[in-house]
Amino acid sequence: MGDPCGMAIPHLMASGLGGIRTSGDLVARMQFNKNMKIKDARKYVAKKLGVSDFEIGDEYIMRQLREELKIGVITGLPNAPRGIAAKMNIEDLLGIKINSCEKFRQMIAKR
Amino acid sequence: MVENKKALYDAMVAYKVPGIQAAVEDARKAGMSPTEIIDALGDGMAEVGVLFERGKLFLPHVLSAAAGMKSAMEVLGPEMLKAGTKTENKVSVVMGTVEGDVHDIGKSICSTMLQCGGFDVHDLGRDVPKQDFINEVKGGCKMCGMSALMTTTMVIEKDVIQMLKDAKLRDSTIVMIGGAPATQAWCDKIGADIYGETASETTRKAKEINTR
Amino acid sequence: MSEIYTRMGDGSRVVTTRSKVIDDLNLGSADAADMGVIKALSSDLIEQLADIICDKNRVVGVEPGHEVVLTYDIGQLDFTGDNGNSGNGIDMGRLEAALLHERAMGADTFELAHADYSIKPVKPVISNEMQTMEEIQNEIVAPFFYGAMPNMGLYYKPDGPYGNPADLMREFKIEEAMDQAEKASEHMARDIEFVSTRIMSAGSDGFNFDTTGSAGDADVVGTFKGVEKLRKACPDADILLGMAGECVMGIHGSIEYDGKVVAGLFPHQQVKLAEKAGADVFGPVVNTNTGKSLAWNLGRAVTFVRECGKVAKIPIHVNMGMGVGGIPMCETAPIDAVTRCSKAMVEVAGVDGV
Repeated sequence: MGDPCGMAIPHLMASGLGGIRTSGDLVARMQFNKNMKIKDARKYVAKKLGVSDFEIGDEYIMRQLREELKIGVITGLPNAPRGIAAKMNIEDLLGIKINSCEKFRQMIAKR
Repeated sequence: MVENKKALYDAMVAYKVPGIQAAVEDARKAGMSPTEIIDALGDGMAEVGVLFERGKLFLPHVLSAAAGMKSAMEVLGPEMLKAGTKTENKVSVVMGTVEGDVHDIGKSICSTMLQCGGFDVHDLGRDVPKQDFINEVKGGCKMCGMSALMTTTMVIEKDVIQMLKDAKLRDSTIVMIGGAPATQAWCDKIGADIYGETASETTRKAKEINTR
Repeated sequence: MSEIYTRMGDGSRVVTTRSKVIDDLNLGSADAADMGVIKALSSDLIEQLADIICDKNRVVGVEPGHEVVLTYDIGQLDFTGDNGNSGNGIDMGRLEAALLHERAMGADTFELAHADYSIKPVKPVISNEMQTMEEIQNEIVAPFFYGAMPNMGLYYKPDGPYGNPADLMREFKIEEAMDQAEKASEHMARDIEFVSTRIMSAGSDGFNFDTTGSAGDADVVGTFKGVEKLRKACPDADILLGMAGECVMGIHGSIEYDGKVVAGLFPHQQVKLAEKAGADVFGPVVNTNTGKSLAWNLGRAVTFVRECGKVAKIPIHVNMGMGVGGIPMCETAPIDAVTRCSKAMVEVAGVDGV
């Protein structure tokens, strides 16, 4: 639905993890990939990140961690992996396969 | 008679045409007047509408009940004429989804409910030019029902009301509006007469306003 | 008794009292319980909801540590779309829109959408959609899906080849109406397979089926069958299936999926069939009644969604946009209402996402 100011942003402020600001993208991947409910998905991601379930939504902790793990940050940081590169690191971190990374590997396979 | 009345009501709610026809026949044999039979069937039809809204019955069931009602009228209508009973002239309603809008499921359900409620419905379909509503009112429709599912098209409802005023038809026409973005506040703002959240509510309000 | 500001279902602000809020919560919950044949909310949960609604602050939120995932529908159309989508009417490229949502708006997932956000119109332009998907996947980090409404209404005349059941039924051609609905349903399932498998081959993380059932029960069956086909062709696809209303409209009346009549099903029943079809995440919908208060609507919505979550094996992402999930039907949504509904769905209904 539209009206980003009145819908998406209030939801983010009220109850959202915040995507790559923290770990929302990672938790979402576990929900879809393994059908994990929210508590299980948060615990799984926390374990993989080496932080507590409480901390995965904390911008202060997650910003540093995301930079270290090279899994994408929200600001324009030269040399920080984006797109496929960041997602390949996410594959390794979470132990999952990501479709766009698979396609990428297929496209470079015959070099 | 009380048993027959209940049997008519139950047959209507069970929506099967043969069952309705059998109940009508039994009621006639028991000496119920055509008007009493039609009233009992009407109560059953109202309950069918409620059950449809609650998701317990579905559109084909509503249509089947309506077909049963139609079949009953084919028998009772001539009887009423013979007895000199004044049959109520059906109120004509023009219904349509406004110009530029192609959503029509809700409007079609509402048309069906109005038809079942005893109205003579002229459903013009969807993407209906504004003038077509006016033409139908000029042709005898006492009520004008408009549906719009987009906030960009609901403003056309206001245009049609203005066109009715310009043609000096507004005072003699009952205007109904509906569709997802419509609200009672919108209805009041544009000067329409009826807003219904559901097809049942619209039909109920249409009946009420016509019996005032 | 102190005054509390709240909203009606159309977004208008009204003054009320806590006891009136509790009354409305109970009435809304009872309505859902009656319709869905499920349990109404307990008095503890009603009190919890009342606390949320009666909070004096403009904005409320969940406690830290309880945040959930936000998934999106309509893709970039919230920026580029017109008033019909509550869109901002700002033309921009879909790559920019996607990255803005990821980086500036904290989206946990996002999606690519066609301007005519339905399966049928995407078919002839699928190559265009595929190339854009490839382009954006190279840049985006968050899960990025393709979204479309099944929108089976487009398969009926005059837009499609099949007779319109609504028109046929009015002429009492009931069997013909049912036959046309069944044919349209099969056709749409084939189109879903065509569109979704091609977009997956372009690197999409998955597919979002939005407003499933907008054209009634045959629409639901066609979508479920399309999801089955997608699941079979792409076992690892992420599939989000969102509904169009709390009760499946029985336009056909007796069409079945997996041996079950689909008409009249409520969220706790819909989710079981969605699981069977192969969905990964389910999006229940509860429509807002514009004539009732926020409390009535939220009590009702939470009752349906909580029951859905209790029986679901897959995560539940409740639909919470304009006019659904308790949120008022208003193009410019009141922020106080949105945050209250958001918090309520997480803390009381127990959803896995929004």
